[in-house]
Amino acid sequence: MKTKFSGILTLLLAFVVQITFAQEKTISGTVSDQSGLPLPGATVLVKGTSSGTSTDFDGKYSISASQGSTLVVSFVGYTSKEVVVGTSSTINIALQESAEALEEVVVTALGISRDKKSLGYATQEIEGSELTTVKNGNFLNSISGKASGVQIKRNNNIGGSTNIVIRGNASMTGSNQALFVIDGVPINNINTNSAGQAQATGGFYDYGNAASDIDPENIESMNILKGAAASALYGARAANGVIMITTKKGKKAKGFGVTINSGATIGSIDKSTFAKYQDQYGAGYGPYYGPNEDDYWYIEDVTGDGNDDQVVVYTEDASYGAAFDPNLLVYQWDSFDPDSPNYRTATPWVNAKNGPITFFETPLTLTNSITLDKATDDGSFRLNYSKFDQTGLLPNSSIRKDNFSINGNYKFNDKLTASGYANYIKTNGKGRNSTGYNDNIVGMFKQWFQTNVDIKQQKEAYFSTGRNITWNPATSEAGSAPIFWDNPYWTRYENYETDARNRFVGNATLNYEFNDWLNVTGRVATDTYTEIQEERRANGSVPGDFGITRGSADSGYGRKNFDVSETNYDLMFNFDKDLSEKLNLKGIAGVNIRRNVFKSIYVSTAGGLSVPKLYSLQNSKDPIPLPEETDQISGVDGIYASASFGYDNMLFLDATIRRDRSSTLPKGNSVFIYPSVASSFVFTKLVNQDWLTFGKFRINYAEVGNDAPFDFLYDTYVVNIPPGAPSTSVSNTKKNANLKPERTKSFEIGLDMKFIKNRIGFDFAYYKNTSVDQIFGVPISRGTGYTSKVLNAGEIENYGVELSLFGSPIKTTDFNWNVNVNWTKNENTVLSLAEGIENLQLGSFQGGVTINARVGQAYGVIQGTDFTYSDNGEKIVDATSGEYIKTSTSDNVIGDTNPDWLMGISNTFSYKNLSISFLIDIQQGGSIFSLDQYYGQATGLYAETAFINDLGNPVRNSLADGGGFINPGVNPNGTANTTRIRADRFGAFGYRRGLPNAAFVYDASYVKLRELAITYNLPEKFLSKISLVGASISLTGSNLWIISKNLPHADPESGLSSGNLQGYSTGSLPTTRDLGLNVKLQF
Amino acid sequence: MKKLIILILAVIVASCSDNIEDMNVNTKDPAKVPGESLFTGAQKNLVDLVVDLNVNINNTKLWSQYLQETTYTDESNYDQTTRPIPDNHWSILYKDVLKDLDESGKIIAATTYTTIELNALKPNKAAIIEILNVYAYSLLVETFGDVPYTEALDIDNLLPKYDDGLTVYKDLITRLTTAINLLDTSEGSFGDADKIYGGDVTLWKKFAASLKLRMGILLSDVDNATAKQAVESAVTSGVFTSNSDNAGFTYLSADPNTNPIYDNLVLSGRFDFVAAETIVDMMNLLGDYRRPFYFLPTSDGTYKGGTIGSSSSYSTFSHVAPIFETPTFPGILFDYAEVEFLLAEAAARNFVVGGTAKEHYDLGIKASFDFWGAPNYSAYIAQLNVDYDILIATSTAITPWKEVIGNQKWLALYNRGLEAWTSIRLLDYPLMATPTDAVSGFPNRYTYPIVEQTLNGTNWTTASNAIGGDVPETKLFWDKF
Repeated sequence: MKTKFSGILTLLLAFVVQITFAQEKTISGTVSDQSGLPLPGATVLVKGTSSGTSTDFDGKYSISASQGSTLVVSFVGYTSKEVVVGTSSTINIALQESAEALEEVVVTALGISRDKKSLGYATQEIEGSELTTVKNGNFLNSISGKASGVQIKRNNNIGGSTNIVIRGNASMTGSNQALFVIDGVPINNINTNSAGQAQATGGFYDYGNAASDIDPENIESMNILKGAAASALYGARAANGVIMITTKKGKKAKGFGVTINSGATIGSIDKSTFAKYQDQYGAGYGPYYGPNEDDYWYIEDVTGDGNDDQVVVYTEDASYGAAFDPNLLVYQWDSFDPDSPNYRTATPWVNAKNGPITFFETPLTLTNSITLDKATDDGSFRLNYSKFDQTGLLPNSSIRKDNFSINGNYKFNDKLTASGYANYIKTNGKGRNSTGYNDNIVGMFKQWFQTNVDIKQQKEAYFSTGRNITWNPATSEAGSAPIFWDNPYWTRYENYETDARNRFVGNATLNYEFNDWLNVTGRVATDTYTEIQEERRANGSVPGDFGITRGSADSGYGRKNFDVSETNYDLMFNFDKDLSEKLNLKGIAGVNIRRNVFKSIYVSTAGGLSVPKLYSLQNSKDPIPLPEETDQISGVDGIYASASFGYDNMLFLDATIRRDRSSTLPKGNSVFIYPSVASSFVFTKLVNQDWLTFGKFRINYAEVGNDAPFDFLYDTYVVNIPPGAPSTSVSNTKKNANLKPERTKSFEIGLDMKFIKNRIGFDFAYYKNTSVDQIFGVPISRGTGYTSKVLNAGEIENYGVELSLFGSPIKTTDFNWNVNVNWTKNENTVLSLAEGIENLQLGSFQGGVTINARVGQAYGVIQGTDFTYSDNGEKIVDATSGEYIKTSTSDNVIGDTNPDWLMGISNTFSYKNLSISFLIDIQQGGSIFSLDQYYGQATGLYAETAFINDLGNPVRNSLADGGGFINPGVNPNGTANTTRIRADRFGAFGYRRGLPNAAFVYDASYVKLRELAITYNLPEKFLSKISLVGASISLTGSNLWIISKNLPHADPESGLSSGNLQGYSTGSLPTTRDLGLNVKLQF
Repeated sequence: MKKLIILILAVIVASCSDNIEDMNVNTKDPAKVPGESLFTGAQKNLVDLVVDLNVNINNTKLWSQYLQETTYTDESNYDQTTRPIPDNHWSILYKDVLKDLDESGKIIAATTYTTIELNALKPNKAAIIEILNVYAYSLLVETFGDVPYTEALDIDNLLPKYDDGLTVYKDLITRLTTAINLLDTSEGSFGDADKIYGGDVTLWKKFAASLKLRMGILLSDVDNATAKQAVESAVTSGVFTSNSDNAGFTYLSADPNTNPIYDNLVLSGRFDFVAAETIVDMMNLLGDYRRPFYFLPTSDGTYKGGTIGSSSSYSTFSHVAPIFETPTFPGILFDYAEVEFLLAEAAARNFVVGGTAKEHYDLGIKASFDFWGAPNYSAYIAQLNVDYDILIATSTAITPWKEVIGNQKWLALYNRGLEAWTSIRLLDYPLMATPTDAVSGFPNRYTYPIVEQTLNGTNWTTASNAIGGDVPETKLFWDKF
């Protein structure tokens, strides 16, 4: 591969050299504004050719042109100017600031470009470069902090999914994820993770969401349509907001049009997001062992000499055992293994030299891409190949992506233009981390571990034998099976998953212009992929829930195949006519036909594998269980129209209407119609003040309908794996053949103002959305024989405020400072569910907590057991045990997963060719339940479980020895608690002894230095010497510093995956500080 | 050019389906199934629940102090909320047993079979479904007290009210009597779809009568007249007379159709349970010959049980005997030994069941010894600490027979947690140890499911008040003493 690549480079260089030989006259000069201030970055083109350049930081340019040709000079916000080349070789050009200085053009629904000032709704743009400068495994993560109204929740899973919610959760059980649209065509963003993954059941993986397949290098810009009014033309699926992506097209520019991008990123663990262990006590749950059940050791003869030995309690996955003592020699796990140097040898009882943090590797990400692009007056062409290569924190984990895209258009004649886009993406994942409670190595490290276990020794034990020699065997016999946990290296190198996705995204478009005010566009677009996910478990592993039956098995193999596609057919008439000098009318009328197919099959072995480590279905020990199949076809036929009136570029009025007919609703209810109206008023047209550059007020109202998920109408039965005779069951959910469409009503007002020649400005929005008649499985008493019934019910309200501020405190020729602030506050309330139903459990989790939609509360409250409180609000403590008395009920609201507000602050400083930017990302409020703390504090792993108590003694001493501690609070009789609680056995600090779930709910606030980038653009003088058009080098960092957080030993951001269940943390990978170096070369 | 546009339009219009709604068909799951397959599913779900040792599903072998948890001792300490055991018990019985039986019955009633012979089986099938309905409901009443009954299983009533437990229980006995009378032993029934009796109607009739006997006995402290009538008519009808009458579900060797205990103990690879001190101590005292069939001795050859509620090292204590770790070990829903002990109770209560309390007591012990293959039955019943008459004479209990029968019945009900728990509650013997870290008093019932509190709050409140409070210690209506 490397040789081939340099071959291409040589070829390209040869071309470049040839071009520079074409002899023409060199024109140079300065481009400035009317006051003489140089304009860096202005474009200078030779009209009718493809040669062009841009001015440097002093406004200077130099270009080859022949006498008589015309130079076209343009700059954003200024009127373009044409100058004919005469005899002089110096041409200085002054540009006039455009009357339409704020002619920001943005891409709106259906890919229609509109003047931003004419829009009656909120949109926010993100430039492609903002997503690519600081490279990230998943570009969706790069949106965080860069737009208001958008909540991005990433996790640390390799190749994992990102939760993107715009303006709050509005759907009870359906997707609340934003819709992704590329060049006007919706693409798929589902994740195919199992339901068990979302509820933190162990043994599942996060396969990422599909939108992350998009190569950020291909993104020209991203526009976020936040409200229903902005997205109403997309119909049903746009109720959650839309992220519109415009891809890069071939450009007219000087040079050959080749861009090479190369980046490398390496990560190092942010230690504040991993466990900080106590280092004084080792394995055990307390003094429970030995013949009298009062010892910290097993008393067994492991040496075979007939004498009893003191043996570490190898079966126990906790660190509540004996205090370390380097002079004490005991038999540890490595003394049981004949291949170990310590076989039958006692070793000192000490804290491990190499703790769990040494298990992690250094993640490395390489991103390389090459782009060829070119444009002429008749068309443009762009070809891109990107390679993404990432290794993860855990051993043997990697994600590889190959991304090919081609994008072109050609003008056949004055009227007909054809364009097309084709993108092929191949993704290969290996060794993704298991998420959730069981079967998760990080969960083991954070919840169930022995601090005396040396990870390096575990590594040697696995690599020298290839066997599962674990610290946690069931017995002390050589070759014993593990009891709860495998050797972590065995897990990584034997029980890994692999996955592969082959995806094609493309469209073919024809545009025909009838005349200068009417054109028609026809487009066929498809997004289709196949995916395979293969899961393995090697013989000799800890038995875990595996495969279709989720039965316990020490080994197994399972595969899931997916075949997913979405096809859209569009025909759209577009007109734009000035009705009078001041009155303009724009309109659209169109048809959209959408078809979605989702097919999957899941097959797995059962009962283990017959031939060890042969991962094949026919190697199943028991008969193969019935596979799980799905075959879902759905579609929507829609027609829509919009009209936009503009009066004197000052007052605008938009109205849209769409009628959908959906396949998933019953006949008679399948057609639904919904409108939107939006208006904007550019009041600065009337107020003439120097300090006020621009001011716009906007207001809109929209309704969006939504259909049901596939197969919500008719009952079917569940087929069981036959217990010797055919066996079936009634489904848990009662379907409903009388559904009608859901509806979201949305209202928004906004104010957009800019001052002092755009030096400072803001965009403010207030919105309120109400979603009614939601379609979901309403939970009902199991006394009905069902768990839920599909109904049109429930109402959720979201209202909030978004504020974006920008300013340029310093703007000089050489030095600029720009600031952007995005602030978001969303309030969410579940107004009703169904008649008589007060609570909808969205998910239930290990530890006994649930995430719920509860009437009168925000969507996504955490419920569980709570402390009990006296009338004075003090916690009540049992006078005998010294333990807190917790509630007997577990439906107490103990947290709200919604943040109070979000803020992103970015600063960019540029001096000549050097720029430095950084982004601070803040979340205030929100709750997260930590299963790590719930268990890990109980098992005595953390530093907080071994301290000197108020009496000056180690807290883990027995009460007789002055140990223990006093829980602050009052006894049931109201007197202050003075009873000391035992802390010499597991549980005192964790889940077991009186502490309710509420004790493990933390504030999820954080302040992070999210991104830092230092970019140097090589000066043109230097570039011309090496035949380059542009070159830049950047040093970047992401997540460099968590400035503040309240969740101990983990990152409050790292949830399980994308979806409606957020606010639960278990065994998440630590966060890495990523440092990157990127080089970009343009020929 | 216009032709091109027309072409595009034509393609789009053509692909616009008139019957787009017809796509919304689940082609992978059946919309219709034979009623018999639902019966098979319901039967397995019921037996799985009764047999299970999973701490999320059924804790009664811990509460009956046959077994004890090793490290994670929450359930041994009567915790029934950390893991939603009552929720699962309730949900499985209503949703996975009663609903499927209900649907099965409706489909079979509506089915016209291909032959006259097959159609003739319908009444027997309906009666057997009814018997399992009664069994499932009786479990609900025995574990919770008042439960939804008259308004249950109605999808148009999302929040059913709870009915009085005693009224329900009496109605169940009436339904059971009707079902017994409907059974026609000259015809077959479910055949292979019945994994308990292979469709043998005679055995089902014995099963139903035995169930009626048990239900009658349960009411004897609260409504002696009804109890006597039910017990005596059950005996007349014909209860189990040998271990070959036992209702045992046939499990297979492959997951998920193995005995659930095999999954809990073997497939899981975990070592969560050891023998409990309460039973091991009693068996040691009696020198009980069933010990090696119930438990594995420890390394020194003795039988040792873990202290209730304390951490118990797996290697220090006795474990269950290997027979329980067999995947195909039958799931016992009802057995002959229990019937004999019930008859002993009936005789002790002066019901006319033929034979004396001692005779049935001895037969109960014999049935148990026979079932496990234990030797020395005769020697055993002759022991001073086993002999019925001697024990009655020496017992210090208020009602001596409750202690004498209760203890031996409990020993015979090993591996049958739910029945044992019910027997302990009714007879108040044997005495249970107080767990070290007990979170409640001895559980006299399951607390209502948390989802009922949150979903069906009004009806839950009414029912909680009616039974005397939704707490584990509340004694149910039949548990008067």
